[in-house]
Amino acid sequence: MYAKRWRSWQYGLALAGAALLVAACGGAGDEGDTGGGQAGEPASGVGFDGTTIKLGVLSPLSGPIAVIGQPLTEGNKVWFDALNAKGGVAGKYKVELVQEDTQYKPDVTVQQYNKVKGEVVAFTQVLGTAPTLAVLPLLDSDNMLAAPASLDAFWVREQHLLPVGAPYQIQAINSMQHYLTEGGGNRQSRICTMVQDDVYGEAGQQGVDFAAEQLGFTVANTQKFKVGTENYAGQIGALAAARCEMVFLTATPTDAGKIWGTAAQARFAPKWYAQSPSFVNALAKSAVAPYLRQYVTIAAEGTEWGDTSVPGMKQMIDDVEKYAPQQQPDYYFAFGYNQARAMTAVLEKAVENGDLSRDGVMKASEQIGTLSFQGLTGDYTYGPAAKRNPPRSTTLFSVDPDKPFGLATLKYNFTSDAAKQFQFEKANP
Amino acid sequence: MTAFLQNCFAGLSLGSTYALVALGFVVIFKSTGVINFAQGGLLALGAYLGYTFSNNLAVAFGVAVLLCCASAALVGATFERIVLRRMVGQPPFAVIMITIGLLFILEPMITAIWGFDQKQITNPWNIRTVEAGGLVFGVRDLWTIGLTAAVVAAFFVFFRYSSLGLAMRVTAFDPEAALAQGISARRVYATSWAIAAALAALAGILMAAGPGGLTPSIGFIALAAFPAMILGGMDSPAGAVLGGLVIGLAEALTRGYQDELFSWAGSNVSVIVPYLLMIVILLIRPYGLLGTKEVRRV
Repeated sequence: MYAKRWRSWQYGLALAGAALLVAACGGAGDEGDTGGGQAGEPASGVGFDGTTIKLGVLSPLSGPIAVIGQPLTEGNKVWFDALNAKGGVAGKYKVELVQEDTQYKPDVTVQQYNKVKGEVVAFTQVLGTAPTLAVLPLLDSDNMLAAPASLDAFWVREQHLLPVGAPYQIQAINSMQHYLTEGGGNRQSRICTMVQDDVYGEAGQQGVDFAAEQLGFTVANTQKFKVGTENYAGQIGALAAARCEMVFLTATPTDAGKIWGTAAQARFAPKWYAQSPSFVNALAKSAVAPYLRQYVTIAAEGTEWGDTSVPGMKQMIDDVEKYAPQQQPDYYFAFGYNQARAMTAVLEKAVENGDLSRDGVMKASEQIGTLSFQGLTGDYTYGPAAKRNPPRSTTLFSVDPDKPFGLATLKYNFTSDAAKQFQFEKANP
Repeated sequence: MTAFLQNCFAGLSLGSTYALVALGFVVIFKSTGVINFAQGGLLALGAYLGYTFSNNLAVAFGVAVLLCCASAALVGATFERIVLRRMVGQPPFAVIMITIGLLFILEPMITAIWGFDQKQITNPWNIRTVEAGGLVFGVRDLWTIGLTAAVVAAFFVFFRYSSLGLAMRVTAFDPEAALAQGISARRVYATSWAIAAALAALAGILMAAGPGGLTPSIGFIALAAFPAMILGGMDSPAGAVLGGLVIGLAEALTRGYQDELFSWAGSNVSVIVPYLLMIVILLIRPYGLLGTKEVRRV
């Protein structure tokens, strides 16, 4: 008699999967090796009519995750608007985006993928872990390239994906090393974790566990939680009872706000390190801000918004002023901007090879070599999936309500020895 | 002992929120026989209205609470007047489907107006605490418990001593007899919706005043409050309150003792506890703790 509500209340879970990274933005800079030789003009084909290259964007443009999808897609657009103003790919082929709303639902993502795959050269964005996993078999069978807007480590070894940024595990490992060397901790410190009960949480925990092995500490206590939990008194009480001196947090902003608020109320004041998706600007303006300012460090990438001493940030800010002056400082915008840069590098190579077919784009994706994001995120060494080497760098931020995104750079773009040792594997080898 | 009491306090606070939401479910079910699946949507709407009053119109928070409850009540009564009144006499299932439709309308409407960004309601509580007996109490939690107690008390006074409350009870008990006595069923239904919406709004703004802030997902708590209503008895306001508190306490205590007692069962036992409790109690008392047993003549 009682109908069930079908709408997933796992939306936090979804958010976690979508959880992107800070990233900053960026310049361009394709300095990859030049695999193929010069060739003639690419022939018209699917997604390319001889003058315009069409790229797909599968993003949640409505629904709760639109708060991520919209700025991220805006980041894609601003990059390509700036590129088109300079003539386009290779200075002559304009890029047009074909956007479809996925609502962050894997089944809808598959439908939308099938709807537009016949009119695009590649997908410059597929947002979220679950949607990406849903289309991955189709990408393989269609020999299509797509850039996932997600920092899961197992994208690294997927040939049909074009990831950007350092995966979540790297953030966790670098955070641990920082705590032990510069953050006041040592191997005997009571180091704990608090992670979402999903794949995003697992990624953070995996990084901490790896760091524990490499750096010789033990994880004193782990608290897992379901996204959307209303009351965190139990978890905070358990962490306090375990006498945790440092807690690594993998969460999304709504939960992170409740967690830190509960910790502040309980007078529980360890040193917190949190993964980038845990933070949004609103937290820096909330009542929890004084606590965050004192105890919280955010592990992310790139630099703070508006730091024009970083070339990539300067370029992005210039582009924002020209093409999206209404855009507010946003992590996800920068991520989308970086994604578009990576896709542009692939297209430039494909044009250079004279082949914008799917085979040509896939071939080009293996030839772009190391791509610089000019400081917005770490340089990514592409190539055959088995040999890819993602960035291992992290930037640590302190919370500062006076900064444009509420974050101030604490330690810029560093790579720990432990992070260099981390091995990336396919999800299902 | 301190940890136990601290967990109990957390459970009471959480349970109070559940109780407010469950009470809204029960008010409508008791008078109309319909489960209002839009309760979560009304909760979110109320919270966002509270945000508008408090932040955009710079109204004092206390006044904003009253205004958001009144606004939500107006929305509830208007919906009943415009839509549900046409469904009087129709099968409850059809009305239930309409409430589901309302939920799906409210959600995108809210995001269209207020967007998806996390918002912080200006309020005097925030994360302030007071200490007593070695325990730390969140001020917002204390207010949640206190306001819930006050609302529940007012609720029972209203039902017991006011003519409208009496009319609602009579209509719930025997609609035809109520009509025969000149009681307006329409007025009763509209009042039920107004009360349920106001309760949802109160729960919403109390939640939004916490450190998690306000997001469109705030209404999801209605799903957690649902077992509270079932557990307490679907037609029992007292049962809804009892159910809410039981569920809240069970959830908080399970979470608090997860590591010591339930680590063998995974990391999220507290999430399933409300539903386990609901199943167990329904097996023993199919009409809930305080629900009315249906009598059938065969």
